[in-house]
Amino acid sequence: MDILPVFLDASSYILILILVALGLMIVFGMMGVINMAHGELFMIGAYVMVMAQSYGLPFVAGLILAPLVVGFLGLVIEAGLIRHIYLRPLDTILATWGLSIALKQLIVLLFGPESQSVVGPVDGSLVIGDFQYPIYRLILMGASIALIAGTFWIFLKTDFGLMARAVIARPETAAALGIDTRRMYRLSFVIGTALAGLAGALVAPLISVDPQMGLGYLVPGFLSILVGGAGPLAGVLVGGTIVGGVNNLLAVWISPVTALIAVYIIAILIIRLRPEGLLGNRRAK
Amino acid sequence: MRNSIIGIIVFSVLAVCPLFVGSYWTGQLTNYLVYGLLAISLSLVWGYGGILCFGQAMFFGIGGYVMAVFTKGMIYPDLTSSYIGLIAAMAASSLFAVALGYFLFAGRGISGAYLAIITLAIALVLERLMSNWYALGGYNGLLNIPPIKLVLFGLSYELWDIVPTFYIILGLVAVIYFAVTFLVSTPYGLLLTAIRTHPDRLSFLGYSVLNIRLSVFALSAAIAGLAGALFVTLDGFASPTLIGFTLSTEALIWVAIGGKEMLLAAFLGAIFTRVAESWLSEIFGDYWILILGIAFMISVVLLPKGLLATPFEKLIGKKRRAIPPPPAEGDPSPARPLPPTPDQ
Amino acid sequence: MLEITGLTSGYGGARVLSDVECKIPDGKVTALMGRNGMGKTTFIKTIMGLLKTEAGSIRFDGAAIERLSTFEISRLGIGYVPQGREVFDQFTVLENLRLSLLGHSIKSQDGLDQIYEWFPILKERADQRAGTFSGGQQQILAIARALIANPRMLLLDEPTEGIQPSIVHEIGEKLAAIAKETGLTILVVEQNVDMVRTIASDALFMENGQIVDSCSISELERDDSLLRRYLSV
Repeated sequence: MDILPVFLDASSYILILILVALGLMIVFGMMGVINMAHGELFMIGAYVMVMAQSYGLPFVAGLILAPLVVGFLGLVIEAGLIRHIYLRPLDTILATWGLSIALKQLIVLLFGPESQSVVGPVDGSLVIGDFQYPIYRLILMGASIALIAGTFWIFLKTDFGLMARAVIARPETAAALGIDTRRMYRLSFVIGTALAGLAGALVAPLISVDPQMGLGYLVPGFLSILVGGAGPLAGVLVGGTIVGGVNNLLAVWISPVTALIAVYIIAILIIRLRPEGLLGNRRAK
Repeated sequence: MRNSIIGIIVFSVLAVCPLFVGSYWTGQLTNYLVYGLLAISLSLVWGYGGILCFGQAMFFGIGGYVMAVFTKGMIYPDLTSSYIGLIAAMAASSLFAVALGYFLFAGRGISGAYLAIITLAIALVLERLMSNWYALGGYNGLLNIPPIKLVLFGLSYELWDIVPTFYIILGLVAVIYFAVTFLVSTPYGLLLTAIRTHPDRLSFLGYSVLNIRLSVFALSAAIAGLAGALFVTLDGFASPTLIGFTLSTEALIWVAIGGKEMLLAAFLGAIFTRVAESWLSEIFGDYWILILGIAFMISVVLLPKGLLATPFEKLIGKKRRAIPPPPAEGDPSPARPLPPTPDQ
Repeated sequence: MLEITGLTSGYGGARVLSDVECKIPDGKVTALMGRNGMGKTTFIKTIMGLLKTEAGSIRFDGAAIERLSTFEISRLGIGYVPQGREVFDQFTVLENLRLSLLGHSIKSQDGLDQIYEWFPILKERADQRAGTFSGGQQQILAIARALIANPRMLLLDEPTEGIQPSIVHEIGEKLAAIAKETGLTILVVEQNVDMVRTIASDALFMENGQIVDSCSISELERDDSLLRRYLSV
């Protein structure tokens, strides 16, 4: 067995996982809200792609529509649901859980429970000597890296990012400096959901698109955040690499079941032994 | 005391149900009673103990599998007593809870949102594990689990018939309901309230927060394990779905809709949701789950104490009071109480 | 002018302020004094909208602000220097100052020049992390951060708490000079009598969640019975 394709497959899974986790992390870090419907937003992104293709639109149109549609959905969810309960963090888990059930069933009603297929924009493989690898997977990896880098740039280098980090660190002081914290929450929520939608659309040609696909990314996404540490954004990179990498490589080398069980146990152990995450700092507030 | 009067009324109404509904509904209601017992266990650990467990079905499933293994004589062919099975089921669930609880709560324990995610992950792992544990039937589970066999003074009676089964289960559920209701009215209940609201202060007073958490976690697991054990004797089979994600979620919905801080409301939440599901899923078909999800969401947002508990509290006329924080100059403002830390 | 009538507020169910009445005149420095736990910080936080007004009204230059959000109150021109300074210690000095400009949608850098003129140390250390500053330097940064948005009124909560005496005096002189130069209205919660004498022209006294007395600083100089009644332990 050639080892390079295995690592490339693992890398593309890791990158998608990081995209999903990044959206979760922005919302969690910013508002303290655990969005259990995040996996369903990812799933809806993939279904937007299914819809786009069924109307004969090109793949790129799907990639543009997915974050727009899902981001708008995020706006509606923030205004209609999260806004009312973000001071009750445990209730946000339950309420978004209810939302996740409702969204899943909505998709079942609209598309049926069976899985849908999405055709990738390019079919061919890159062939270099003996090595060959699907081109779309390489595109996916490039696009994911660009998106992750872009998100980091927004939060670490722009004025918006400065205000967002201020709101995370000291929400009351930020408000007293004239920063509209509610608006920052809403924008961050929309960015997080749009990222999930885009990730769903990007990965759609590679996986089976079905109403249950969200949970398979939600739980690993959360574990990535907790493993890496919910403080600095870079924690997601470490957490996603560990969770995604262990899962993917063990699945190939041993079996998918062993991989899943092993990764959950490793993640839970890390979280238990280092509750602040691998990169989390214990700085005093 | 009006609380227990309402409890008596509820159980009396349930007791006369078989006279009015047919045997099909009596059988269904028996199942719902068992789900109600699971709801009571979740209400105890979550509403009273403050431990939000997203994987309560794992204890239910463990109880179910242990009961199946014992009564099918898979370990000791001679020891197929239902009594031993029930006790073993409760013991296994609570031992697992103690081990898991120690792992989760000891030292700088995990709580709040992190706990929810981790218990959900553990339930997913267990479900996957059971699906691949071929000695225990793997994905198909264990079939032909015998019904409960009552043995008293040398006489034995197997619970095959619907109506006697209903009354035995109802009696058992009622006993546990009243026992737990009594328990939370003792000083132990007060300790639970204190641990939910101000765990740090309790440890200053010399109580072991860990031991109290473990005790309520184990007790709740034992009740859930009993529910699981009863359930497999009714259905005759135990499958990985008993242990995992879907049932855990359903239990959360029942308890949240009913009211997590009131055992009776949680119990009735399970029964009402299941009855509503049987009726409404015929009328609404696939829309039922959509409606349930939305109802769950709305009840969490608008009625955080629960759909049933809110009118109940009015009826009883007493409110469980939280200890108000003392006012102080420079008290951290409650306007946004959460930095998302694992210790909150 | 800040006019407060019948103000009631507190934390959750616990009422701290009841029926507070007072007027903070324009262009003057008013000190709010009283023992710990009397409600001074609660009062300031309620004005800033960080705590909910349960009853009563707060009018700032005639406009009712008691129902506005904190950021709107800030944008109306009330600067706030919180107790404990609350600078963003992971951010640089410049980033701390820029946040205030961003919050008030101020594009120009003119404010920055003015701030650097008043507080040269902030210019020298513009790229240093605020967390590495001493308490006194952080206090200067917190004050500068509020002033850069060019507020009409400044609320200061215990600006001298936990700061070396030498810097306390410096901060006092600087604030007094800035108030004189700009005509800024200031309400300062302060226990340090020397500081109050340096900057304030009037004093209000708070006890058990109410304003119970007031006087001018010159009266205070002649007769310190009010100080003994409301401050001594």
